Amino acid sequence: MDFSLNEEQLMLKDSVAKYLLANYSPEQRSANIMQSGGVSHWTHFAELGWLTVPFTEEVGGFGGSIVDTCVLMEEFGKVLVVEPYWPSIVLAGQLIARSSNTALCEGILPQLMAGELQASFAWLEGQGTFCLSHVSATAKLDGDDYILNGQKQLVLNAAADIILLPARTRGEVNSEQGISLFKIDAQDPAIEREEVVLMDGQRAVNIRFTNLRVPAENMLTAEGDAYPLIADVVGEALIALCAEAVGAMEYLYKATADYANTRKQFGTAIGKFQALQHRMVDMFMATELCRSLLIRAQCSVLDGSSERQKDIAALKSMVGKYGRQVAEEAVQLHGGMGVSNEMPIGHYLKRLMMIDSYFGSALHQRREYCELSYA
Amino acid sequence: MHAKFSADELAFQSEVRSFMRDNYSADLAARIHHPDTFRDASVEWQKCLDNKGWAAHGWPVEHGGQPWSATQKYIYSTELAAAGAPDVVPMGIKMVAPVLYSYGSEEQKARFLPATKASDIWWCQGYSEPGAGSDLAALQTKAVRDGDDYLVTGTKIWTTYAQYADWIFCLVRTSNEGKPQQGISFLLIDMKSPGVTVSPIISIDDEHHLNEVSFDNVRVPMANRIGEENQGWTYAKALLTYERTALSGVPYCKRTLANIREMAAQSQNQSLSLLSSPDFQARLADVEMDVMALEFLELRVLSAIDSGGAPGMESSLLKLKGTEMQQAVQSLQWDVVASFGGVLPAEHGAQALWQSTANMARRSYMFGRASTIYGGSNEVQRNIIAKFALGLSHHAGEAEWIFH
Repeated sequence: MDFSLNEEQLMLKDSVAKYLLANYSPEQRSANIMQSGGVSHWTHFAELGWLTVPFTEEVGGFGGSIVDTCVLMEEFGKVLVVEPYWPSIVLAGQLIARSSNTALCEGILPQLMAGELQASFAWLEGQGTFCLSHVSATAKLDGDDYILNGQKQLVLNAAADIILLPARTRGEVNSEQGISLFKIDAQDPAIEREEVVLMDGQRAVNIRFTNLRVPAENMLTAEGDAYPLIADVVGEALIALCAEAVGAMEYLYKATADYANTRKQFGTAIGKFQALQHRMVDMFMATELCRSLLIRAQCSVLDGSSERQKDIAALKSMVGKYGRQVAEEAVQLHGGMGVSNEMPIGHYLKRLMMIDSYFGSALHQRREYCELSYA
Repeated sequence: MHAKFSADELAFQSEVRSFMRDNYSADLAARIHHPDTFRDASVEWQKCLDNKGWAAHGWPVEHGGQPWSATQKYIYSTELAAAGAPDVVPMGIKMVAPVLYSYGSEEQKARFLPATKASDIWWCQGYSEPGAGSDLAALQTKAVRDGDDYLVTGTKIWTTYAQYADWIFCLVRTSNEGKPQQGISFLLIDMKSPGVTVSPIISIDDEHHLNEVSFDNVRVPMANRIGEENQGWTYAKALLTYERTALSGVPYCKRTLANIREMAAQSQNQSLSLLSSPDFQARLADVEMDVMALEFLELRVLSAIDSGGAPGMESSLLKLKGTEMQQAVQSLQWDVVASFGGVLPAEHGAQALWQSTANMARRSYMFGRASTIYGGSNEVQRNIIAKFALGLSHHAGEAEWIFH
């Protein structure tokens, strides 16, 4: 049993924290979103080697484990980094890196890690409730190509050059069998694009594709076999996303305590009021509980535990529930300032709510946990 | 980072598991759970653990402790709970002993430590008073010098198992000078001394755990004082830190949750079990996920201690969340068996399992209400965390919290 970070991980944490402290104040963050759509720092991320962290040394990566990725993501969460690290590197990047299509890996990964190419994963079809195997987009073989038809919603990272798109080559809409994963060009003329801005500053795109022609060599796994790859990568990506949430929660309880120590009412700092102190302690507690499940899930992946899926569902559910609670409390304790868009607090609330919504909210993940536990 | 046990740790786990299986018999369990036989059976169990060298495993090795890592301690307490076996009654081994080996004289150590380890002395704790609960420094029981003795007069309350105790360790007032914390001394008092009276307090589980202990000019040799006069507060603070780190109750929660799942699976309504109801599952999952998190919070604390760190604010978090989770599982267990639970003990034919589980659930629920009160109430824990983890300042009326 050992929960400490190794020397490399501590150095990574330190260098990320230092860079973000100098370059990612709330004002710099807003300017980044306004001026570049939130990609100003991408080339710096590449120069600093951060885009290589989750990739193995064989493909030219840093060879980090889930722990290294979480170290980065947690620091990102503290300042609400909007650069598309999670969709491009953690989700799409790992789908490619772990796929059986080595030619595709060799073609894409060097550019991806160099920051010259951005990627995305289109998992949502706007069905209202979440289900990873819900794929109604279709792919039909036609000579050496597949013809794809369908639509995908809220594909994160509107700046992505390529999109990884699951489409069904056989089976029913919710079947885990028959899902194939294609690499497509995001700007293909057969794709109708509608760009949207999400409340947390992320840019996404809704796409509709009609008779989109994709060469069979752009398929990431054998036909119809993509589900295990997707489930594996999404599971770990959720842990990384929760690390970001824990970073955001840590920022919130600390910022709230600092504010309460300076804000004066009734002639005294409001942080002296016991009723408020106890609420801040509960924010701290909620954060530490989420961090504990975050560590549990990381160990579960590293140790190859049979409880992995259950641990991830519990983590995502708890982060969804407590993340939102902590942010709501932060708004309340900041009073009027908490509801002002100029203050950072509300932006953390927005981000934590979006994190909750990805790949199934707290309620969905709790149901997942129940099915794994009591079936 | 990893949470796996090493081969040595797995071997230790199986050693503890077989020891529990071979030594904690159903007969002993029955006697421990019956109020009439509780005292003698508890002593028997502690002697059994002591013969194995495990009763005082947390003590320094030179006094008979074990050189266990934090992981081993975790394995030990998990296996103990999994076997349904109780930990040692804490007042001697876990509460007064650390004060004795840290601050006691050589004579005091020689006189009390071996007998405490062997369970030949039953201790009780004399801290709270009718006018001094969370505000412990307000205590008024006074000790006045008379030659080589003190004469002690006053009242202690909520004294667990005083009715069985041979000795009591007490905080008494030896001076009214300066801040209230400055005039307190730590005394060991023989319960057989003339002038000591124990009166029972029946708690809401209908059992007799608690007492009021009064002292009427009780003569106590000065040799029974720990450390310096008027320095008792310092020693008591140290003791409370030990008490608090032992309060998370994760193994207990896990064992009770297993029982809840088992009973809920058996509970049928129109051929559907309670465990298959989505409403019930959601409630159970909420509790289980919090316990999973609490377990890793505790492991993080233990692992930090192992690598040379000190338990920080996390130990207050452990007490706080641990007791809240104990109450949550007790509440859930009660809900599962509630239809049988109002009935006081009596065997009920084929329903015996439900009946006995219901009795246990009722008693643990009722006495469990005390867990968020003792060891520094959870409100006090929140005050401590606010100050030391969040840097929030004292509010009015708080001179100095005792638990830091």
